[in-house]
Amino acid sequence: MRIAEVIGRVTLSRSLASLRGGRFLIALPLPLDALTQAAQTRSEDLVVYDNLGAGAGSTIGVSEGREAANPFGKNKTPVDAYCACLIDELAVEET
Amino acid sequence: MQLGRVIGTATATVKHPTFQGERMLVVQLETALRRPDGDPILAFDRVGARRGDLVLVTNDGRALQELFGPTTPGRWSVLGIPDCVSSNHGAKP
Repeated sequence: MRIAEVIGRVTLSRSLASLRGGRFLIALPLPLDALTQAAQTRSEDLVVYDNLGAGAGSTIGVSEGREAANPFGKNKTPVDAYCACLIDELAVEET
Repeated sequence: MQLGRVIGTATATVKHPTFQGERMLVVQLETALRRPDGDPILAFDRVGARRGDLVLVTNDGRALQELFGPTTPGRWSVLGIPDCVSSNHGAKP
C-alpha cells in the first residue's frame, strides 16, 4: 500500500455491475519528503475504489495491483487501486 | 523481496476488517546503494520492527492472505530484521 492524499472524486453515470456500491476517489500518493518534511510534492494521480467513505483531504492507504481486487472475493472485479484504510495518524521521521 | 528502512508507524480506525489489530509500519524501500527507492509504503508487521530498523519486506500478498484471510487487500509485509547485509557495494545495515 502507498499513502495518498484524496483530492477529488469521479462519478460514473454508467458502470459495471460489480463496481456498484463503491465510490471513486482521485488520490495523489505521498513521496518521502511529503511525509518527513511536509513538502508539497506528490506522485502521479490514481483513481481509487473506495467503500470506507474517504473524502477530499483524507489521507488513505491505497492497495494496488492484484491485491486490490481481493476484497471482492470470487467476484472477478477489475479494480487495481483500493482504499484499504483511512489513516488517522502518521508518526514518521526520516532516520 | 526488498530491503527497506522503517521510518514510522501509521494508525487507522476505519480500515478493511482484515487489518483489525495489526501493526502498520511506514517503510522506505532502498536500493542496493541505500538510496530511497520509490514512494514510502505501508507494510504489516508481526515481527516487531521499530523505527530506524532495516527490514526485509515482501510484496507478495499471499504471505498476508495466509495470516489475514483471502480477502485482504494488504500486499507488503515484514519478513524479518536482518542483522548484517553484505554486498559488493560494501553497504552495512
